Amino acid sequence: MKVLFFGFVRDMTGEKETAVEGAATIISLFEALATRYGERFRTEALPEGELSSELIVLVNGRHIAHSGGAATPLREEDTVAIFPLVGGG
Amino acid sequence: MGKFGDILRIDLAKKSVTREDVDENQLRDYIGGRGYATKMVYDEVPKGTDPLSPQNKLIFACGPLTGTSSPASGRYMVVTKSPLTGYIASSNSGGFWGAELAKAGIFALVLEGKADAPTYLWIKDGKVELRDASKVWGKDGHETTDMLLAEVGDDKARVACIGPAGEKLSLLAAIMNDKDRAAGRSGVGAVMGSKNLKAVVVRGTGMPYMHDVNALRDALRDGVHKLKENGVTGKGLPAYGTAVLVNIINQTGGYPYRNWQDAYMEKADSQSGETLADKYLKKNSACFGCPIGCGRVTEVDGKKGEGPEYESIWAFGSCCGVEDLEPILRANVVCNELGIDTIGAGVTVAAAMELYEKGFIPDGDLGGGPKPLFGDGDAMVHWVTMMGKGETPLGKRLALGSYRLCEAYGHPEFSMSVKKQEMPAYDGRAIQGIGLTYAVSNRGGCHVRGYLISPEVLGIPDKLDPEDIGAKPQWAKIFHDLSAAIDSAGLCLFTSFALGAEDYAGYLRAATGFDYTADEVMTCGDRIWTLERLFNLREGLTAAEDTLPSRLREEPIPSGPMKGKTSRVAEMVPEYYRLRGWDEKGVPTPEKLRSLGI
Repeated sequence: MKVLFFGFVRDMTGEKETAVEGAATIISLFEALATRYGERFRTEALPEGELSSELIVLVNGRHIAHSGGAATPLREEDTVAIFPLVGGG
Repeated sequence: MGKFGDILRIDLAKKSVTREDVDENQLRDYIGGRGYATKMVYDEVPKGTDPLSPQNKLIFACGPLTGTSSPASGRYMVVTKSPLTGYIASSNSGGFWGAELAKAGIFALVLEGKADAPTYLWIKDGKVELRDASKVWGKDGHETTDMLLAEVGDDKARVACIGPAGEKLSLLAAIMNDKDRAAGRSGVGAVMGSKNLKAVVVRGTGMPYMHDVNALRDALRDGVHKLKENGVTGKGLPAYGTAVLVNIINQTGGYPYRNWQDAYMEKADSQSGETLADKYLKKNSACFGCPIGCGRVTEVDGKKGEGPEYESIWAFGSCCGVEDLEPILRANVVCNELGIDTIGAGVTVAAAMELYEKGFIPDGDLGGGPKPLFGDGDAMVHWVTMMGKGETPLGKRLALGSYRLCEAYGHPEFSMSVKKQEMPAYDGRAIQGIGLTYAVSNRGGCHVRGYLISPEVLGIPDKLDPEDIGAKPQWAKIFHDLSAAIDSAGLCLFTSFALGAEDYAGYLRAATGFDYTADEVMTCGDRIWTLERLFNLREGLTAAEDTLPSRLREEPIPSGPMKGKTSRVAEMVPEYYRLRGWDEKGVPTPEKLRSLGI
């Protein structure tokens, strides 16, 4: 699946997007990303093994709050977008 | 001077200035700013008044918190009858000018009549002079500001002015303050221009009234902590400003593209806050008393200035099919200098692009200018400039906004407006609640009457599904009432990402001495919203106008994450009316008016 990074999440990953295979859920995707990107990503995105509440995660444009949160199932053709908390208007 | 400051009533024709005390009962009921001034416009501007006639009144109003040590308290309101919509205009701006007005001991300026020649006001600590503005008439807002500051000889003074767009009565004209801050919407700059009033220069050396300094200090300790700890106000907005929204709104599938013919832009990252920060950002900036500091100072063509904000990037970018930031920055500078609302400008040029591409604008109307084609950044900047200057046949029509432009060319359905005011940067097909806000907003297409994007996309304070409609009318009413109260208090709406009605009630208690509760603050918001509605109904508004353009209701989004969606606004409006205590025609019931004391 395609994974897109935005805002200061890019500072954690050093790239704007990547591809990940075999992650069945959001939490398993984040575990794979933490393994790939290292300690800073794990500390900030997965504090104490839980998905950070300071991130906004969309799967194909839908917030994961509406699809099962960390347990949201993923398919290989999905696009996951990860944002910091942002605001404006 | 009254304890809440003076109301200065200035008759520009007679060159007379009279002082009035603030009515404390009205202040308590309407808080100040937007609410208090709306009550004045409702009481004093008769039904059917031509908005650009001397009979219209232009009110600049502070809230009781403007210029105080409350967080983000640099806000003021401009309230008048709008020449764009024909309904209430209440346009808000930040920067430093509003706080300076409050420090000069002025609660509100009520501008009446029409000066017989270009005039500006020089106000120092409540002393008012009407001065000749002929030297700056025709100058842009930046030049005007520099020249008037030199003329008054006080570089700590602050300037609010119109540019050439306001002088030429463009219905998209803004009132600019501190050069790059705008009371942008609903054509308030044209009302100022119609009065031959070029600028208001103000200097205040006092402090606004504060009933209980210690109570405010206690309340602020908690509030500032909340703002600093909040992920949006403490981290996201300071780091990236509002432009950080480009990617998330696009990824949500609600980033209107090419005059709302689509809602997803493949290359949106090229105009994102992240790209802006990488390539053009010079430094961050903050308005008066603001701990958030979301402002951006950028540079293009050797010109430094504030912005562009998210809405402006979208209007000149995605809405016009333009990908690169550079022409977007140029258009933003043009609007700041000429004094034009960026949302209205971008959406109107986008409408012209659609009209032209579909063959409805003849080449003869272009006056030799470039063809207005989607994606052409140079053409976009050219037509924004022509709009601001009111030059060429097409430029003159652009200056009247998208509705009148599209109507003139026989296709009003291409105007992406509500009540003739252009909609901002979120697609109501993808994000249902913001569509409801656009539809019922008292000033026409507007996102800051109730920023439903916060719960629907950003998850603050709760995570609502943008596709659902069930809870949206209730949420819309709460957001509309709270936003009316914050606007009236003199604070920035961005504080509401972290603060709630209880916080605002605490600040208002300290400032005024009135025993506001959170519930009462919300009731004041309801009262303000209802009075705005009554003004509009008196001017002929009907429920048929509480809707969205047919494109959003009937044309499914063609691509992106929300492909296939249309707005369900018609299903939400009746429930919104019911929650407001309005009948099925959108008219407040006698019981509702009694309950609000209207």
